[in-house]
Amino acid sequence: MADQGFHGRSTGFPQLDDILPGRGWPQSGLIEVITPSWGIGELQLLIPLMRSVIEQGKWILWITPPHLPYAPALIQLGIDTDQILVVKRDTSCRDALWSMEKALQTSNFGLVLTWQNWLPGKVLRRLQLAAETGNNLGVFFKHHDSKYSLSPIRIKIKDSLVKSNRENSDSFETEITVIKARGNFRSLTTRVNLYKAN
Amino acid sequence: MKDPDNADQVSLPSASKSSIAQVIKLPRPSKKAESKNFLQNKKKRNGLWYALYFPQLEKLSKPRQENLLNELAASIRQVSSEISFHSMALVCEIRSGLKYFGGMEEVHNKLAPLLTALLQQRGLPHYFLYAASPTITGSLLLARSGRNALVYQKNNLRSALGRLPTDVLRLSKEQNYRLHNIGVRCLRDIWRLPADGLRTRFGSDFVNLLDKALGKVPEPIRNYLPPPAFSTSYELPFGLESLDRLLPVVDEMVAQLCEFLRHRDLSISHLLLHLQHEKQDSTEVNMALRQPSRSREHLIMLLDTHFSNLIIPSPVTGIKLRVKKFNTFISHSDPLLPEDKLTSRHGCNLNQFTDQLQARLADNCLKYINSVSEHCPEYANQLINYGEPIRKSHNEDRSRDDKKENTQQVALTPRPLWLLREPKQLALRNGKLYHRKDVTLISGPERIETFWWSGTDVCRDYYVAREANGSRLWVYRERTGDKNWYLHGYFG
Repeated sequence: MADQGFHGRSTGFPQLDDILPGRGWPQSGLIEVITPSWGIGELQLLIPLMRSVIEQGKWILWITPPHLPYAPALIQLGIDTDQILVVKRDTSCRDALWSMEKALQTSNFGLVLTWQNWLPGKVLRRLQLAAETGNNLGVFFKHHDSKYSLSPIRIKIKDSLVKSNRENSDSFETEITVIKARGNFRSLTTRVNLYKAN
Repeated sequence: MKDPDNADQVSLPSASKSSIAQVIKLPRPSKKAESKNFLQNKKKRNGLWYALYFPQLEKLSKPRQENLLNELAASIRQVSSEISFHSMALVCEIRSGLKYFGGMEEVHNKLAPLLTALLQQRGLPHYFLYAASPTITGSLLLARSGRNALVYQKNNLRSALGRLPTDVLRLSKEQNYRLHNIGVRCLRDIWRLPADGLRTRFGSDFVNLLDKALGKVPEPIRNYLPPPAFSTSYELPFGLESLDRLLPVVDEMVAQLCEFLRHRDLSISHLLLHLQHEKQDSTEVNMALRQPSRSREHLIMLLDTHFSNLIIPSPVTGIKLRVKKFNTFISHSDPLLPEDKLTSRHGCNLNQFTDQLQARLADNCLKYINSVSEHCPEYANQLINYGEPIRKSHNEDRSRDDKKENTQQVALTPRPLWLLREPKQLALRNGKLYHRKDVTLISGPERIETFWWSGTDVCRDYYVAREANGSRLWVYRERTGDKNWYLHGYFG
């Protein structure tokens, strides 16, 4: 399904690729990742993407992450920390969004991550334009979904955890819902083992 | 005042006891030759080079020598605009200013106190040797010999130089020895020898040096260039409150600056902008650049960003722009292929972004993360301000293989993507760990014991745990004290 004229970048999770238009993340634009709380797998979801961005020789900017990104873990996952920059946490929302726009316009960055809850439509449209000019991907992590959000892709990671069919194995699957994606007609849900892929 | 061209040689006043002025007496040329000389001089008026030789510099180190020569050159600029650098000596052109200053002696009298004062300041013996002749090398050789001679005309150079001993040429020991063995004692003896033979025996540099001294071949001038300085200011006709309206004025000043930089082939890395107010101190915009630049657009964009979060206490009545640090301009050539163009543009773009970010936020807003080979988890991560050199203790100097090895070392046990700044104590409810929801342990323990040598002992058992809502946690239990449970990180 979702056979589009463009090809996305593989997410690294085949089940998720299946329900995304273009079989993967778009080449540029904004992605919203909605989680009820920080740290329930949203970073694991993006690890394959980060790896491919670093391999392309591009940089990753983390704007105001809620906790310290831990370099040894990133190295373990095959992500070179030399190409990662972090904007510190106590930056104001306005400045954070401003730096996100500038970073998205810069072609050196391949991925800009930010943790923001306040995102009016005007801001999103500006950032979407910036991401298209710089051919960049911007990812928002937020707690609440807004129905009228303008970002082309909205993904929700569910709070609940479902055990896989094989009862004896120690694998757990996370429910991921693509609420909206340009090219999909309705929201689709899949189950992904986020921790196994790495 | 005597016409210097008619007087062949004039003795110079001596600067110290050690160097006694000496008049070189030569037969006056015949009238016929004189008129020919005159014509030649009219045709191509050669400079008169005044050499100042400072033998006391020999004891100083190379950079100090250079510094001192630069300072001396700055004061010599009062009498001459063309100054050439040589080892332990400066040579300046004075023919062009001879009439203005009123003769050779006047020039010397003007210079001598300046130079001696400078040398005295540095605690050096304050004498110097000097000579003037139509060629740079000739003056230098005369000055080195300590004869303080003045030769006005090129034709007389040969006989004046002829008397000098060969050691003024500063040859190598072996060459000196050979010259001595041939029977050469002074320069005159060399001129009697055939040039071809000299060239094969002593190299063309040697013959060239002598030719330069006689003015037969052109000499390069190693020019002294005064250190760059740029400052410009603008008085506004009325006080301006809006910084946006100030920008066109600043733009004009930056354009001037860029023009200056282009002329001098420089770029800047530190700029100061003073916004003057009527009755108050001026507001200072201090702008340091990550990478030296001389692009007008880039500088203006950065200043604009600085202005955007600048609050001025009262209207601006004047602007002053000053450059604090100059750098040499290093240009990048455009690559031939289009795909290379993309990659080559990158470096510059990233620097522009970081400059802009630091201009708007603060200098320490942007960080690098770096892993350190350290057993204790909280010290294995390092946040470094962007722009500071990364202190990589383990994988910078070593080869790439070592780096891989190190990565594997890190990868032995799972580490969380997020580390909490402060470990958070977990509660126990009904014998079960509880954070936001119930916590169950998945794998572990991994024992970390370190810092037993310092007072704060680290003795922990780390586990990977799963919260009921699905997030993976990194928890540990202290092995000493109350044996409390702590949350230390999220696997994200």
